Amino acid sequence: MERTLQVLNWLEKEGIFGRYAIGGAMGATFYVEPLLTFDLDIFVLLPETASGLLTLTPLYEVLLERGYKVEGECVNIEGVPVQFLPVYNALLEEALDEAADTHYEKTPTRILRAEHLVAICLQTGRAKDRQRVQLFVEEAALDEAKLSDILTRHGLEAKWKQWISE
Amino acid sequence: MEAMDQRVNPEITRLLNAKTERRQQLAALSYAEKVRIVVQLQSMAAPILRRRGKAAVVWNLENEVEG
Repeated sequence: MERTLQVLNWLEKEGIFGRYAIGGAMGATFYVEPLLTFDLDIFVLLPETASGLLTLTPLYEVLLERGYKVEGECVNIEGVPVQFLPVYNALLEEALDEAADTHYEKTPTRILRAEHLVAICLQTGRAKDRQRVQLFVEEAALDEAKLSDILTRHGLEAKWKQWISE
Repeated sequence: MEAMDQRVNPEITRLLNAKTERRQQLAALSYAEKVRIVVQLQSMAAPILRRRGKAAVVWNLENEVEG
């Protein structure tokens, strides 16, 4: 995974995307017990196109030129299937903007903060997101004030109360 | 019945507490150690998923950067 992250760092440095951070199950795994997943979810800020549409095509073209293969929704980068997820709403933009700098082995990378990952789970709302929120509550050191602020601003308080009371 | 509960409940409580403690220990591991565990989980789950017709690629960490 270290080489995968080095490729992501290179893509960011070259301006192929504006900024990236690890999210999804591998983001959650940073804060809680290891979670089974088969892809690495990478949230990316894409450069604006003339039409204003978000497109992964230029990013895929660069990766294909470098010999990486598309596998379903992912691109296999150095042995790890990576799913690129463009940020498309205010919560994801904020989460990416405030993502935490860290290292994997010796390689710098970024991971979405626990409080944003909880909020994204609430917004996404699948059964597995509900389980993941429970894990965050039980195992992660959540900053309650920060979480409350995020949930209030993004209209997720009611869902949070519903999920943790059940 | 009450006598049986008194015997069983402390044992169940001990097991549940041990499970919680184990999960907290796992949560406290370094990210790199957790990634290695995820790959072990993938190795265990992939054959089952493939038999169900689902694509499941186990990550290749063998070409990690050498220190």
